[in-house]
Amino acid sequence: MAWRYLSVVAAVVSAVSALWPLPTQLSTGTTALILASDFDIDISTISNPPEDLLDAISRTKGYIQNDQLEALVVDRGASYAQSLQNASSLSSLVLSFDSGFNGDPTSISEEVADDIENRVEGYSLTVPEDGSAATIKANSTLGLFRGLTTFGQLWYDLSNTTYTVEAPITITDSPVYPYRGFMLDTARNYFPVSDILRTLDAMSWVKMTTFHWHMVDSQSFPLEVPEFPQLSAKGAYGSSLVYSTDDVQNIISYAAARGIDVLPEIDTPGHTAVIAQAYPEHVACPGATPWATYANEPPAGQLRFANADTTNFTASLISSVSSRFPGKYFSTGGDELNTECYAIDDSTQADLNATGKTLEQALDAFTQSVHGVLENSGKTPVVWEEMVLDFNLTLSNNTIVMVWISSADAAAVADKGFRLVQAPSDYFYLDCGAGGWVGANPSGNSWCDPFKTWQYAYSFDPIANMTDAQAKQVIGGEHLLWTEQSHASNLDPIVWPRAAASAELFWSGPGGDISEALPRLHDIAFRMTQRGVGAIALQPLWCALRPGVCDLTA
Amino acid sequence: MFLLTTAIALAFSAIPCCLSIWPIPRSFDSGNQIIKLSNSFDISINFTNPPQDLLDAVARTKDAIQTDQLGRLIVGRGSSDSEAFGSANTFHNLVLSIEQSAPVVQPISTEAVASLDTRDESYSLSVPLDGSAGVVSANTTLGLLRGLSTFEQLWYTYNGTIYTSYAPLTITNDNPAYVYRGFMLDTARNFFGVSDIKRTLDAMYLVKINTFHWHITDSQSWPIQIAQFPELAQAGAYSANQSFTPEDIQDVVSYAGERGIDVLVEIDTPGHTAIIGASHPDYVACYLSDWITFAGEPPAGQLRLADATVANFTAEVLAAVAKSLPSTMFSTGGDELDTACYSADEPTQMILNETGRTLFEALDDFTATTHGALHTLGKTTVVWEEMVLEYNTTTLRNDTIVMVWISSDDAAAVVQKGYRIVHAPSNYFYLDCGAGEWIGNDPTGNSWCDPFKTWQESYTFDPLANISSGQVSLVLGGEQLLWTEQSGPENLDSIVWPRAASSAEIFWTGDTLPDGFDRVGNISEALPRLHDVRYRMVQRGIKAIRLQPEWCALRPQACNG
Repeated sequence: MAWRYLSVVAAVVSAVSALWPLPTQLSTGTTALILASDFDIDISTISNPPEDLLDAISRTKGYIQNDQLEALVVDRGASYAQSLQNASSLSSLVLSFDSGFNGDPTSISEEVADDIENRVEGYSLTVPEDGSAATIKANSTLGLFRGLTTFGQLWYDLSNTTYTVEAPITITDSPVYPYRGFMLDTARNYFPVSDILRTLDAMSWVKMTTFHWHMVDSQSFPLEVPEFPQLSAKGAYGSSLVYSTDDVQNIISYAAARGIDVLPEIDTPGHTAVIAQAYPEHVACPGATPWATYANEPPAGQLRFANADTTNFTASLISSVSSRFPGKYFSTGGDELNTECYAIDDSTQADLNATGKTLEQALDAFTQSVHGVLENSGKTPVVWEEMVLDFNLTLSNNTIVMVWISSADAAAVADKGFRLVQAPSDYFYLDCGAGGWVGANPSGNSWCDPFKTWQYAYSFDPIANMTDAQAKQVIGGEHLLWTEQSHASNLDPIVWPRAAASAELFWSGPGGDISEALPRLHDIAFRMTQRGVGAIALQPLWCALRPGVCDLTA
Repeated sequence: MFLLTTAIALAFSAIPCCLSIWPIPRSFDSGNQIIKLSNSFDISINFTNPPQDLLDAVARTKDAIQTDQLGRLIVGRGSSDSEAFGSANTFHNLVLSIEQSAPVVQPISTEAVASLDTRDESYSLSVPLDGSAGVVSANTTLGLLRGLSTFEQLWYTYNGTIYTSYAPLTITNDNPAYVYRGFMLDTARNFFGVSDIKRTLDAMYLVKINTFHWHITDSQSWPIQIAQFPELAQAGAYSANQSFTPEDIQDVVSYAGERGIDVLVEIDTPGHTAIIGASHPDYVACYLSDWITFAGEPPAGQLRLADATVANFTAEVLAAVAKSLPSTMFSTGGDELDTACYSADEPTQMILNETGRTLFEALDDFTATTHGALHTLGKTTVVWEEMVLEYNTTTLRNDTIVMVWISSDDAAAVVQKGYRIVHAPSNYFYLDCGAGEWIGNDPTGNSWCDPFKTWQESYTFDPLANISSGQVSLVLGGEQLLWTEQSGPENLDSIVWPRAASSAEIFWTGDTLPDGFDRVGNISEALPRLHDVRYRMVQRGIKAIRLQPEWCALRPQACNG
């Protein structure tokens, strides 16, 4: 009895394309279609195609050739053999711009460096069942690229035949939210460039737009800044554990070619103890103990923001770093400021006394000075939520605020009129749940327990408890990896496929059903693994091949 | 701050001069002088006809010392050590010596699979300060191997110079507190290739784990090819590429044996066997029925244990696997029997009625048949705790080894019944806990065994809690375990290492550190050493995770709470 029910479930689910994120409009058929051995992607209608589009086309052809992913069904597709023998074959995918498009196209890289609201990511895609040419149309190069990404997820392998059993396919697709990100902390532990590039690939496969790069923190300063060479010379974990300016450019251009903007963060004025290695005069309470009094985690140390020299130093540093990033956004951080640290810092107290400012007033002046440098060069500042909720500062209305402490804080940020990114620790922190990392704490758990499952993250409502006006301030969201307990050894398994949950949530919109989503998430996880990203198993393979059968409600 | 940190370090670190060896030897005397490894360093053997696997182990050790290239975990990664390089002596030779009183020298792989009570893993090691030869001496090649794994951990590299900072070092008669130190891997929920297993065995060798408990089959897949029963893997493996050939099994067994590791294979019965229904549907009750009613997890299905035909079939399958294995131990599982499944199974109920037996009486007969076949082959049977605590099985032989998994609280009850135990408690040693629910359609579900078992929590495990002094000898040791509903090759290393090293030290070093301090309460002493072995694993290609930011790893105690 049970298994008649099961086979019904399986049949229904396998008829839905395993795309991630799910297109906003999708129709599929039940006809088999194979990819011709001379399949090619045709861009003859596009004059002067940008180089990064050509590269994306050749990557897409590579994925289709090399994915070799067997369908996630019990027989791995063997029963399709007969219908594949009689199937039409697809020999061409035609890329073209929508009819209203004029002039030479811009590159993907140029388009991702534009203001986030200006980017056009929509596309339409058709795959006819009769073997006539498939099409992708868009009003932007970025849109064509998103379409290529979808096209690359349509295909399975059976004995070296590349096929779909869901033709005809018609998709009209565009994202609900423009900001869909992933944050990586490269300061608690260092990540080689190759790990970042691999992560960017995986991000592009799920159509993320932003790599939020938390580059430095109190533990290490792995970024080469030519104007301030001592910062990394003295603050990196080792001379080989530094991102050179070439590395940074490599990461930026690799990301941009994949539709991803890099949002750099130099966290200030907290989270800066390591700056004391090169510039002790700019850091209050460096290494003060017990660290728990003066910092959220070891080591203690924060910029002396009440000091004019330190302010100028910081503004110059931010200016130097930001000038090397083409994007419009730059984060100055601003989280977890510890006031005890300044209370014991004679230098800060002297500065406050001399200027007659409160700590908050000094922070305001510091922030205006640092943000002023960014705004003068056309950048939009990004800050953590404390900068608007804990302190009364004069921030430009344009500022983007990241909500991290709790999803419950988002409405308050929106009320202050700022655009916000949802990065709530209670849903999107990938590091939670692996126990305490601070020493001498045998039964300690992580501060943000429990582990954030993909299911829980997927259930996030970005506009919960918000008015319509507040909801309009939400530009998207991101998963985040803080790396006290991570480095290259567990980067892929701790991030993937979980981070794909927010990628879909902010592309397709909230409210998705986890039972419907799970087979598709399995699919993208298996495809990631085929492409060399070590995404983890969400279930025994037995379950992955039998959608719905391992549900709690099965 | 740095002065203060140093003071704290001295106060906490009772072990002389931070000897970063894992597991820490039970007694030793070490200095803090530097000696350099000679470019022509060699390991010689002072007895004739050394077995080939000892020669291979020596070659691996020599290679590891060259290729580890581990910078010492101090600020500067050894730059301060390098100031002493000019005046330091050079170490040229390590001699492996078998004690004169020792019996005939046997291969490591023979000694590794001998019955638990006959193994001798003890060794002594010296590294003099003056550059004269070091010595590892033991009664057995297995002991020599343990000495080599210690020796490998002494060496750091700074700017091309290989050196130790622990000279002079004398370790006298280091030997394990417990005979069983294991790691369990489930290769049925998701498949792992031979290369993944070998990499895991390499890591196990480094921390002196001596048993690979291989939970090879379960309800989801049957990845072991058995010549006499080819249909089981044909129908039950995830694919032909995701199954172990007999050659694969022998490859794993010999690779393990050469590294001092016994392979304890488990074919879990009579529960956890739904997959047998793929080839023998008549042998399986409630096959693919509603799993919530009939099984702990999907899919449902258990061997029809009351059926004599099924019992005989099972005995033949177990014997076919066991007879090809050199280990003296074999596990028949026996956990999580779902009685509702049998209540609903008409063939089982019919047989029970005909024979006038209860379900557990039938289980007793089934167990007598399966264990009997293994005993005939000279195997000692291993079972999960329910077999003695819940099912009132009366036919278990007295020498049966029982694995305690449901809770550490159950250990005392098992030893009170007179059985030897292996500690495998889910509340300390389950590596899969804490990553959320894997069952579908359960958005806020957590893992059944939440929370995540940190290395610290595991390390505080007391193997003798509530065990009376007369029964201490029944505690064989313990193991950490990876059930793989949410794991595959992609996260094997990161979910296992370095956490599984916790139990390796618990059961090697025992309850007392070499300085006489209590091990259980001493995670602050342990952390720098665990960082060290973790960094060494990474140098060897094992993707052990970070326990802390590197800033903390280089500054022992500075990140304590």
